[in-house]
Amino acid sequence: MKRFSSGCALALAVTLAGCSARDAGREAAPADSAARASRTDTSAHADRGGASGAPVLPVSGPGVTALAARPGARLTLVNVWATWCAPCREEFPALLKVARAHRREGVRLVLVSADFPDQLPGVRAFLAAHGVTDTSYIKSGDDMPFINSINPKWSGALPATLLYDDRGRLVTFWEGMADEDRFERAVTRGLAQP
Amino acid sequence: MKRPVLLFLLAAMACATVARADTPPNDTPGDRLPVVKATLPDAASPTPLALGQPAPLRDVSMKNVDGSDISIADVAGRKGMLVLFTCNHCPWVKKWQTRIASIGNAAASRGLGVIAINSNDPAAYPEDAPDEMKARAKQLGFRFPYVVDATSDVARAFGATHTPEAYVFDARGRLVYHGGVDDNASDEKAVKQPWLRQAVEAVAAGKAVPLAETKALGCSIKFREKS
Repeated sequence: MKRFSSGCALALAVTLAGCSARDAGREAAPADSAARASRTDTSAHADRGGASGAPVLPVSGPGVTALAARPGARLTLVNVWATWCAPCREEFPALLKVARAHRREGVRLVLVSADFPDQLPGVRAFLAAHGVTDTSYIKSGDDMPFINSINPKWSGALPATLLYDDRGRLVTFWEGMADEDRFERAVTRGLAQP
Repeated sequence: MKRPVLLFLLAAMACATVARADTPPNDTPGDRLPVVKATLPDAASPTPLALGQPAPLRDVSMKNVDGSDISIADVAGRKGMLVLFTCNHCPWVKKWQTRIASIGNAAASRGLGVIAINSNDPAAYPEDAPDEMKARAKQLGFRFPYVVDATSDVARAFGATHTPEAYVFDARGRLVYHGGVDDNASDEKAVKQPWLRQAVEAVAAGKAVPLAETKALGCSIKFREKS
């Protein structure tokens, strides 16, 4: 695998992302725009997903907002987390529960790990343990441009949660841990918007 | 002096209290850590202390690892001051901690007051308990106080949200730097922008800080419940 050029690796990753997306039904379209946005830096550590588990693709800050602006969802819930962030792990089940409960209503979940590239195996293991089968993402590039391009109001504390409308406009943002009620309230409010 | 600040804090945290009031106790079994209930308010994130402002809650006494009680005002140096919100448990802090010790010690030796503040609730993270802080300060060779913000109110007053998060004040006590340690937590040799070190050096030399506001990822501060 290591002999793949980064371009080949990226192409394969995107292909597998597409397969996974089709398998998963609603989570349509591979993250080509996000992958393009980060092609120059860390695509070499794009994860191919292996025989089991979901692909984990590198994504830049602009790539995250591009993902949120893709058509096909009424709301996009973006969660930036890390395996070694305790409140991120803590809120993860509630986040997944709410996202899954509203999936048929057009809620798309985009998970972005802020782990370092060498923690990718841990990221994959965590996602697999929580039954995440859709394409997922891992931060690429330096912290400050990543943070500011996603939301200048974000201090950098993890976890961070953002909700975008069907046109990719940010409607809700918070940082720090949330419980199921808070995720539910945010999603319900977002879906109720005209 | 204290009363207006406290009133302001009370107002600022009111929505947080409301937001928490309907949060049921969460004692999810099987997870490694107890749930911290004090999530941030719906307003997304608190307003950070603005550049040019003085340090808030300067006179609040905090317990240092050497057993003494010390406030921010106590440590203010003639050339300026470095206030660093940090802790023991946070993996990002662990990546940066030798740099934090080195920068803090250098700042202290150059005439800046230095204070490292742990605002985390150790009920959430036993590794952040006072005895552990004492051991960490010794291990890293801190030549500056490492204190317990026992109510987390000092962090709230600064608008601090995560660790590590640094604030540098100039000789006149005005905030001239707020942000992270540098641009690469995982690899010190790959650091391109040593933001905090540059800020400390600039203040020590009486010069303008090259980059006054920066950001880096870090662990959310685990605020104690407001009493």
